[in-house]
Amino acid sequence: MKNRLPSRAGEQIDRSTILSFTWNGKKLEGFAGDTIASALVANGVTVLSRSMKYHRPRGLLTADYWDPNATVQVGDEPNVRAAHRRLEDGMVVSAQNVSPSLRFDVKAANGLVGRFLTAGFYYKTFMKPAALWPRYEKILATFAPGGKVDLNTPHGYHDKRYAHPDVVVAGAGPAGLAAAIAAAADGASVMLVEHEHEVGGHLLWGTDDDRATAAALRAEAEAAGVEILTNSTVTGRYEDNWVAIAQRSHPMAVERLIKARAKMLIVAAGTIERPYVFAGNDLPGVMTSGAVQRLIRMYGVKPGTRAVVLAANDSGAAAVAALDDAGVDVARVIGSGDRAALVKATGSSTRIRKVHMGDGTTENCDLLVTAVGWTAPTSLLNMAGDRPVYDPSAARFFPGTPPDNVLATGGITGDGTRDQLIEHGRATGRLAAGRAAVVCHRLQASTARAASVDGAEPSYPADERAALPRAPHPEMFRAATHGIVDYSEDVSSKDLFGAAAEGFDSVELIKRFTTATMGPSQGKLETVNTVAVLAEARGETIAEVGTTVWRPPYAPITLGALGGRVFEPVRVSAIQPWHEANGVTPILAGQWIRPEHYGDPAEEVRNTRTNVGITDVTPLGKLDLQGPDVPKLLSLLYTNKWMQLPVGGVRYGIMCAEDGVVLDDGVTGHLGDDHYLMTTTSSGAATVWNWIEMWLQTERPEWQVHVTPITTGLASINIAGPNSRALLGRLTDDIDLGPEAFAYMQVRTGTIAGIDDCITWRIGFTGELSYEIHVPSQHGLHVWNQLLEHGVDLGVQPFGLEAQRIMRLEKGHFIVGQDTDGLSKAPTTGMIPLLKLDKDDWAGKPEVAWVLDDDYPVVVAVQPTDPTVVPEEACQILRADTIDIVGRITSSRFSPTLGRSICLAQVSQEFSEPGTELTVLLVNGTRTTARVMEHHAHFDPEGTRLRG
Amino acid sequence: MLLVPCPNCGPRNAADLTYRGESHARPDPNTATREEWRTYLYLRDNPSGWLRESWYCSSGCRTHFQIERHTFTGELREPLLPGSKTGGES
Amino acid sequence: MALRNHPAKYSAFGLVRRGLRKTNWPRVWREPDWKSSYDVIIIGGGVHGLATAYYLAANHGITNVAVLDKAYLGSGGSGRNTAIVRSNYLTPEGVAFYDRSLDLYNTMSVDLNLNVMFSERGHMTLAHTDSALRTMNWRAEVNKLQKIDSSVIGPDEIKKLAPSLDVSTNTRYPILGALYHPPGGTIRHDAVVWGYARGADAQGVDLHQKTEVLDILCEGGDGADGKGAGATVTGVRTRRGDISAPIVVNCTAGWASTIAGMAGVRLPITTHPLQAAVTEPVKAFLPTVVVSGSLHVYVSQTDRGELVFGASVDPVATYNMGGTLEFTEELAGHVLELMPGISKMRLLRQWAGLCDMTPDYSPVMGPTPVEGFYVDVGWGTYGFKAGPVSGEQMAACVANRATPDLIKPFELSRFTEGELVGEKGAAAVGH
Ligand SMILES: Cc1cc2nc3c(=O)[nH]c(=O)nc-3n(C[C@H](O)[C@H](O)[C@H](O)COP(=O)(O)OP(=O)(O)OC[C@H]3O[C@@H](n4cnc5c(N)ncnc54)[C@H](O)[C@@H]3O)c2cc1C
Ligand SMILES: [Zn+2]
Repeated sequence: MKNRLPSRAGEQIDRSTILSFTWNGKKLEGFAGDTIASALVANGVTVLSRSMKYHRPRGLLTADYWDPNATVQVGDEPNVRAAHRRLEDGMVVSAQNVSPSLRFDVKAANGLVGRFLTAGFYYKTFMKPAALWPRYEKILATFAPGGKVDLNTPHGYHDKRYAHPDVVVAGAGPAGLAAAIAAAADGASVMLVEHEHEVGGHLLWGTDDDRATAAALRAEAEAAGVEILTNSTVTGRYEDNWVAIAQRSHPMAVERLIKARAKMLIVAAGTIERPYVFAGNDLPGVMTSGAVQRLIRMYGVKPGTRAVVLAANDSGAAAVAALDDAGVDVARVIGSGDRAALVKATGSSTRIRKVHMGDGTTENCDLLVTAVGWTAPTSLLNMAGDRPVYDPSAARFFPGTPPDNVLATGGITGDGTRDQLIEHGRATGRLAAGRAAVVCHRLQASTARAASVDGAEPSYPADERAALPRAPHPEMFRAATHGIVDYSEDVSSKDLFGAAAEGFDSVELIKRFTTATMGPSQGKLETVNTVAVLAEARGETIAEVGTTVWRPPYAPITLGALGGRVFEPVRVSAIQPWHEANGVTPILAGQWIRPEHYGDPAEEVRNTRTNVGITDVTPLGKLDLQGPDVPKLLSLLYTNKWMQLPVGGVRYGIMCAEDGVVLDDGVTGHLGDDHYLMTTTSSGAATVWNWIEMWLQTERPEWQVHVTPITTGLASINIAGPNSRALLGRLTDDIDLGPEAFAYMQVRTGTIAGIDDCITWRIGFTGELSYEIHVPSQHGLHVWNQLLEHGVDLGVQPFGLEAQRIMRLEKGHFIVGQDTDGLSKAPTTGMIPLLKLDKDDWAGKPEVAWVLDDDYPVVVAVQPTDPTVVPEEACQILRADTIDIVGRITSSRFSPTLGRSICLAQVSQEFSEPGTELTVLLVNGTRTTARVMEHHAHFDPEGTRLRG
Repeated sequence: MLLVPCPNCGPRNAADLTYRGESHARPDPNTATREEWRTYLYLRDNPSGWLRESWYCSSGCRTHFQIERHTFTGELREPLLPGSKTGGES
Repeated sequence: MALRNHPAKYSAFGLVRRGLRKTNWPRVWREPDWKSSYDVIIIGGGVHGLATAYYLAANHGITNVAVLDKAYLGSGGSGRNTAIVRSNYLTPEGVAFYDRSLDLYNTMSVDLNLNVMFSERGHMTLAHTDSALRTMNWRAEVNKLQKIDSSVIGPDEIKKLAPSLDVSTNTRYPILGALYHPPGGTIRHDAVVWGYARGADAQGVDLHQKTEVLDILCEGGDGADGKGAGATVTGVRTRRGDISAPIVVNCTAGWASTIAGMAGVRLPITTHPLQAAVTEPVKAFLPTVVVSGSLHVYVSQTDRGELVFGASVDPVATYNMGGTLEFTEELAGHVLELMPGISKMRLLRQWAGLCDMTPDYSPVMGPTPVEGFYVDVGWGTYGFKAGPVSGEQMAACVANRATPDLIKPFELSRFTEGELVGEKGAAAVGH
């Protein structure tokens, strides 16, 4: 570690813990507390990366998170901020964006042709020959900056936390610390969030006294009960102070997202030091004054041996003091706010060698330090709707007027001594606590059922803080020469001048055209310089040019942290354990996992049609409806009539949306006085529930109906087949199953397998004699087992969704959403008799009435001429010898019962007459023919089986 | 995320509720002309400004209610309880 | 086409020449003088407005045209979209229309003498359920009939095209198949906007930026101020003054209802934000565009190495483009379901644009009940790709005062006639 200084007070490294790591394969050492970058510089590494377009060598510039030149690959993690990430033992660190190596980079040749590759050059070339563009594109893509993703990266443990603090403070410099302390002292719960690894902000690289103050403030904050989160960033402020915090310091989570509904947000983000634009400003060895102070004071690293310092402000003087302290020879200090004082820097490929002054003199050096001013990182304020305002006398933007629940304090709002910053912070903290108390009170009092509100609403404190002073500062953005403005994008001030001259002369257009400010540091260093250069190019003031909108996040956040653990539960029925133990093939249907089959669906069909089958239909949506007005509700939402359905009756109905499009279908049974059970399609369960509540609350609030979703409260089993009556009869004593006593489309409630209150109805989706039983969920598995046990001699077997689908297709029952689509109005289903236009009102009635007079597509049963051909679902039906689409196959299967292919199709009316021959285009491109059938049901159209 | 004030549950994250959009009255289905009915189905004011709209407290108390919200600034006015058509459905 | 003032020709040779002479390129478009009347006023300086202006001049010789935008060119959806182009729509009307757009995109770099970086990298829409797979098949079948390269592929082939996808079956949303559309891809959206702007300007069209329209001037209508059905448009009122014109075309996408409202016309539109985000750049690993409707996410990797993400529109209607945290959370969660290996990549920037959503996921184009007032709106989440063909057709519509066949299905009157277009099933997260 040849550049390591002797140990000093206040340094953040622990020299007793030596960490070893590799840099581009070479073994190096650093100390605990080092950042990757400080360890590299300590080891004499000057070039950390190469630039994107010209592949110019780049060294440390700002030595903090925003350093555009210090992005590295660490193991499988790309784009690690080397000047922020702490060194760990065994880290494998390498340079990114180098071809083939950092020291020798062939693309550096682009630097030679740089003057032809002006910003946006790619828009102006490669148009011809058009055929070659894809190849050019591949080459351009190799210039993509950034590290490599290892696709085998494990997801890692990511968690999220919700928080409801009174106050969130973003930034723990002196002002932020003081604000947190004062707010907590006034009784507020406070989260203090610091981007760096330690609290203290710029005090950390200040004087001994500064560091002592930082430590004292930290102790005070801890004592006041402030929750301090270091190495964490407030990444966004969204509507109503919904604040996102990326916590990188969590002991288990790789990175944790904290979502805080803060009553008040205090932005104390300090300032970011701006680089200076001049020729040679991206040579390794050109650094900001903050960078050298950090390196020396925090990490004991010597940034160079002979320095020139451009000091347009106090920070320059502080840098000189730090350099003196570190034994760096300060060859010259340009203590001036004169843009002409420094002209350019020149050097070798790895280091600056010489600075050229405005007066014609030069100075040899290996370090050029610039202190030319500050940028207020107003990003979080922007997200709150605030627009920053430029103050030429201070040469920077300041916050405008943020909303009442967002306050700014500290350097972002002005200058001042340490004590002034602390005092401003305290005042801000008190104000925030006062406002948070009012917000708390209003929240308590806001609901109709507000229980106990503590006293009267406190008065809303006005903002009476004395503003921090603004130190005069020269407007130092660019020297008389052109240099790099955006380091990560390799955009120079010359590019910006060119773009402005071409007409991309508003800040948004120039940003898009040149990509300045679009890189990984999100414009933190670049935006103001871009604006300043544009202003110069246009001959306008910076205020006239304005600035761009800073978008979230404040600092990049991992997808892992944002994604967290995905909470998307699957739903299973109470009978699922049996399915799993019995070789089920599952299928994902919406949120549900269902049995698709247990080995051979065709055999399941055959057994059901000859013996008896049972299937788990629990996902069927079930709504319990009670109240005197249920019949009116049913009449309003279904297309058919419901006022006369007697107790014990079951009826099928179709629901339409108000545009007449089929919304759902299902059967509803009249269980008892004012009591009904409605079933819906599995996927429609939630929609129908919402739909009913909407009608009840907004259109018919006078009706008395209670609706309760009980889908998972009841396990549902369909028992189908000629032996179903015999099977069910063995398990119930109190339900008379006789064909007359319990006829088709009736419902009974009784005991099954010893379980009371089971609802049983006789319906026939499969076309067989069948009973659907709804059993309290906790007994579902028991009843299922009993059915299997007691039906062995009857040939009982389970069947899955696939067998059910085959049987329903054999019966010609359509499925909403499969045989109908987003434009199918009710008549398309063919259920014309169910569309009761003589009813006073029902949802969708007008559209249904109109379409009935019109031409609409119709669902028909279709059988291919060749019984062995099963046209794929979605095959198009064409007008013969043309490519005009007249319909499509919506469902198709090979019917084990009929030994032939069967389909449902939607066709235009012209082609819907029974006997019509259709031309079907198969997926393989061949055409085949099929015939429209008379009935929807391919099998037992008279329904003798199910009525039996 | 926007906080939406359910009259029962108080301010809730918008994601806890279902947005039902611009409030509009349902014409009489027996007398409405095609044009009136389709105006009800499809046409919207969609203003950039104050909008009376319907929400559904779908993860909370399941109340349908209306609020007035400014579609640009996000400001809200007092929520109205369900069915209060008197509030003047436009 | 006759160019009034020739723009500087762009070429590699030009780059070298100017590099050597150290001269700047001339302005891409003029800063036009203010005029108080035009033959046609187009409101909205996005791809639709600019393309309409360009084709009015190029195909119909109508050059006394102004494009007005309240901010800068491309400040709306045209500068915020994720630039996915494709033609594998569900309905024959949709397919025919978007396919024409792809044709225009294919030759655009040459036609406009500006590289719009059309990257035909293929477009893959994943199916996680059998019903989604059925819709994919439906689309593929319709597409094939129209000679669109589009087919359903299985997990193995998916894995070959995008190795980062997890096609194993033990995921929460297993990938069962995908609709693959090789001619789909991405384009550099800004370049398209600038290309049309430059081309229109060169033919004499005036591009007025920072010119907000405050009112539409009408006479003879049933409504207030002579607006509404039966009215005739006479011009517009802007923040900079009134301009008269017999024809006004509304190309304001997310703001379409506000402009139409100024003429007393109600539209079947609600404005919802659509959000997008990019990650930090990494070396190329994702060669195609991947869309998952069920997971509400799509992703592609730019030539710069960033992953660009999008989703479906936000549920709440708003004109505010602030964006939400939830969007990034859901997006990341879902994208990690698809590509578990990228959890260490970082989201760099999120943004939103306004989308003019219609009930049938299809645009509203052509005349309105106000004479001379035309719309080219309802572009929702998918309108960028339609920019060229819409401009071409709207120019014809305005020039000939008759709706061309290609856009006939999209007229405003279809809503009162109940003739909705059936794209709804396919476009929910279509782009
Ligand atoms: C995040 C996102 C991703 C998208 N991804 C895709 C995609 O991948 N593929 C795709 O095809 N489409 C996509 N879209 C949709 C696409 O961007 C839009 O449909 C398309 O850009 C619309 O273009 P336009 O020219 O009609 O409108 P815009 O580009 O929105 O232009 C409208 C213009 O009108 C101006 N304006 C508004 N009001 C006024 C006024 N009063 N006076 C003057 N001017 C006014 C605005 O300033 C604006 O510039 C996406 C959209 C978004 C937001
Ligand atoms: Zn509620």
